[in-house]
Amino acid sequence: MNKTRISFADIIPFAVFIVIFLFFEIASGGKMLSPFNLSTILEQSLITIVVGCGVLFVVAQGSIDLSVGVNLALSGVVATWAANAAGGVLLVPVALLVALIVGIVNGVIVSKFKVPSFMVTIAMLIGIRGIVNYIQTIIGTQYIPESMTVLREPYIRYPAFVLLLIVMFYLFEFTKIGQYSKAIGENESTAEFIGIPVPRMKIIAFALSGLMVGFGTLFSLTSVGGTSQMMGVFFEIKVAMAIFLGGVLVTGGTSTKLYKVLLGSFSITIIVNGLALIGLSETQYSQSVEGILLLLILYVTIIANKRKNRVRALPDELEKTDLKPDQIITSGS
Amino acid sequence: MSENILEIKGLNKYFGTTHANKNIDFSVKKGEIKGLIGENGSGKSTLLSQIAGLYPRDSGRMLLNGREYDPQSPIDANNCGISMVMQELGVVGTLPAGVNIFLGRTGQFTRNGIVNLKALNKAAAEQFAKWDLPKVPLNELTDGMMIETRKIIELARALSVDPQLLLLDEITQSLSMNNRNRLYDLLKRLKAMGRSVIVITHDVEELIQITDSITVLRDGAVVGEVLSAKTSPDEIKRMMVGREISGEYYRADMKPDYRDKVVLSVKNLLVENEIEDVSFDVHEGEILGLCGLSDSGIHAVGKAIYGLTRRSGGTVHLVAKGLDIKNSTMALKNNMAYVPKDRDNEALMINASILDNLSLPSLSELQGKFGYIAPRKTKRLASDMTKKLSIKCTDINQTVNTLSGGNKQKVNLGRWLAKDLKLLILDCPTRGVDVGVKAYIYSLMKELKKEGIAIILISDELPEVLGMADRLIVMKGGRVAGIIRRDEDFTEHSVIGVMI
Repeated sequence: MNKTRISFADIIPFAVFIVIFLFFEIASGGKMLSPFNLSTILEQSLITIVVGCGVLFVVAQGSIDLSVGVNLALSGVVATWAANAAGGVLLVPVALLVALIVGIVNGVIVSKFKVPSFMVTIAMLIGIRGIVNYIQTIIGTQYIPESMTVLREPYIRYPAFVLLLIVMFYLFEFTKIGQYSKAIGENESTAEFIGIPVPRMKIIAFALSGLMVGFGTLFSLTSVGGTSQMMGVFFEIKVAMAIFLGGVLVTGGTSTKLYKVLLGSFSITIIVNGLALIGLSETQYSQSVEGILLLLILYVTIIANKRKNRVRALPDELEKTDLKPDQIITSGS
Repeated sequence: MSENILEIKGLNKYFGTTHANKNIDFSVKKGEIKGLIGENGSGKSTLLSQIAGLYPRDSGRMLLNGREYDPQSPIDANNCGISMVMQELGVVGTLPAGVNIFLGRTGQFTRNGIVNLKALNKAAAEQFAKWDLPKVPLNELTDGMMIETRKIIELARALSVDPQLLLLDEITQSLSMNNRNRLYDLLKRLKAMGRSVIVITHDVEELIQITDSITVLRDGAVVGEVLSAKTSPDEIKRMMVGREISGEYYRADMKPDYRDKVVLSVKNLLVENEIEDVSFDVHEGEILGLCGLSDSGIHAVGKAIYGLTRRSGGTVHLVAKGLDIKNSTMALKNNMAYVPKDRDNEALMINASILDNLSLPSLSELQGKFGYIAPRKTKRLASDMTKKLSIKCTDINQTVNTLSGGNKQKVNLGRWLAKDLKLLILDCPTRGVDVGVKAYIYSLMKELKKEGIAIILISDELPEVLGMADRLIVMKGGRVAGIIRRDEDFTEHSVIGVMI
């Protein structure tokens, strides 16, 4: 009985996805499914998915990384600058390295000083945005070197995307890193009492989150062609929204699944894309419509999770045995 | 019948398809200490919860002092003079102890929306003095407190209602010896005042000692009622399980029986404010008991050995590997295991599946190439352990908090048995489990002992350590007060002599 209820909560994000997809498909008169539009949707979801797969490790532990947007901007600005100054190939390692370092710093502060992750990463968000602005006032908006535009080619871009997804899926579902992260989200005391190295796992999760931002930066730079003042603004919110919209619990834990990031990312993109298709995006209130839709969906998701929790909150004696008492005894002796 | 404070007639309670209480007839007299006993899942807590207004009943009548009684909430029940200490821990960790005592009733200390904490704490302290409860730091958050302290806070909260009928659901198992005696005195006092108490405990001997009469439940129905003065533990156990259960429970032999090889050597262990200068060796196949009163530090020893608390001095030396254990990660890696006392908060991932809970400590061993943990391996481990320990569940994906206390504890133990253990630290392994599971845990311990695994058994139950241990370390005020071997003066009397 319990099991079916849980999958009921898991179904909601799927149902939401299908409903908004069908709604916009019909409202736009079938424009949604055109090959061109489908590739637009994929392109618009790509960076959210890549970064979301990293943040997922942090969320599974019951924490949150709100510095990914600003990390995207910092690594983008620094990598472009380095590539232009000292050689195009530097773009890739510098972007990854800068993003990774920011992630590790987050992880170290969160685990060693036991500060709530949202406070640490919000502080990062504000502080690093200042640094990014400062750098940009000096070097201005920059374009990536000509030699690096090859990364934009579909035969590199999409295989790289798929490869990253596979690696993250593997790490999250089939290794200790993923399993321990989920355990920490379920009950940090349990993890500690068993002997899981909790601080180390937290640093690893934030490091992965940072590293995936680095890849996200590369996807972003190559698709836009360079940096901008608006790079990464509100991106952390989009990623967090995608993860929670996909049905991941804020508390993390064993119900956290990687496919939920994909589901949530596509759902958000379809809302934005769909509003554009039916001609609502040019109006002043398009963002409000987006907001209201997101609220609605979150409301449904939360209701579903509440139902699940209510089932879980039933008392001990419920799981009443259908065995005879003497069978219980004999099983023990 | 006017002397009955509470009378229940034909009460039924369903949870979904589960018939948790079947046609219960039950009454408590004024000034009576009533015992309620039955196996895990027999419906005791459900019955008390309905009396305390936690859930509504489905059918039947309740009469309080001869008048219709139908509580809508625990507060409602409080107003009728009924209060309860629940089985699962029920304090708000993020609030100080004092506030917890008047939780939901802070109105009397509130003026213009501001709670007068000083007055509140004063009133709380008065309650502690009035009922002669052990002192508790009222300004501290309850989060960091020991289970026992939190239980006492809950007891103070229940008593602060000045109840005519007090419901205690398995409180004694969380208390150490000295505070148990305080509780017994409290019960006598309540009785003398003409108040009534319903007590649930799994400890049959204790129940007979402290109650006037005992009602036995089985499978949600009342099996019978006996007078405590005229019954025996065997009769009650027989009523509980519906058949004779064998007398073999603890060890039969009265000689220490272990190998010479030392597994773990603890020297001059020091944890600030907890324990001092604790030294001992544990041998292969030895069950080393640890007992003491509430401030003796026995639980701190377990945590310190497994590397869970910062040690200020001393060494924990794992002889076979020539290693000093410094933290829990090292302990896990080196075939040690620790089963904490607070099962639901410290040991289990309560909302995760049996599968996840069972496989968690063994993930390192299950890794293949590239750190690959094959789902079929974790599944096999979980279903093997579920079968081996006969954990009662529909399947291994069931969440742990839907299991009964005994089965939860089996999950808690089972996940360590899947490993190749050298040392097992058990902190109150039979807390909150019924006779059947208890017997099973003891038989498991005997089995592990035979395999040569060293076991450190920390317990608040004196009969348990006396029944199982080869050697018994008695602690007092954070120090070792004495070590008694099984073939020496191994009796409750002599141990208590050392304890106090």
